[in-house]
Amino acid sequence: MRTFAYASLCLLGGFISAISQVLLKKSAQRHHDSVVAEYLNVRVIMAYLMFFAAALLSVFAYRGIPLSMGPILDAMSYLYVTFFGVTIFHERVGTRKKVALSLILAGIVIYSFGI
Amino acid sequence: MRAKTAVTIPVYLVLHAMLAVYSLSSVCSKLAAGQPFMSAGFMLIYGASIALLAVYAIVWQQVIKRMPLTTAYANKAVTLVWGLVWGRVIFEEELSPIKLLGAAVVLAGVVMFSMAHDEDDDARGEGARP
Repeated sequence: MRTFAYASLCLLGGFISAISQVLLKKSAQRHHDSVVAEYLNVRVIMAYLMFFAAALLSVFAYRGIPLSMGPILDAMSYLYVTFFGVTIFHERVGTRKKVALSLILAGIVIYSFGI
Repeated sequence: MRAKTAVTIPVYLVLHAMLAVYSLSSVCSKLAAGQPFMSAGFMLIYGASIALLAVYAIVWQQVIKRMPLTTAYANKAVTLVWGLVWGRVIFEEELSPIKLLGAAVVLAGVVMFSMAHDEDDDARGEGARP
């Protein structure tokens, strides 16, 4: 139960981090006049603030989960990104992606049995 | 003929060097977790973790300009392996068969997800509405 609580903290950090990745990609798709402007714009600064907040959450999460579990739970970001794609950009999800996401979820469950 | 821009080997090398750095930031996070919150040790190690993340973030921004985000994410799966390696070597974590199996299934899912990208794009192209 204790591990589950810390793992939830790690998942929350991953969710925040995934939102920051969407912001970074949106910024990368835009034209910027200089290299400085590529980094110092509202989207990128907000994305990095969220990114570092997520990093702090992961520090607290690591108090209760093993190091190897961090990247395992990070794989949930594929689910988050697909969720954003479907709900925000109305993208379709093909059969192979559905199977892949099922594999990721199954792998996380299998790994958790080993804790 | 492929219309997409080819991703060069140096970009992959930079990506993987950066992903190794990223995995080390997790090592710092785990080390910081063992320190009392806001203690000197905590601040020092958490600072190191942030510094590594800063390097990662700056390089990542350049890498995703040169390759599709899905390709970058597919390669990010290597951090799963780094996590297992650092966990075993530095923190003496147990690597049970069930943990390895779980990690392998997640890895397979991540690779399959990225390889499904083109198929799903094609499907979307056929049925897309403006």
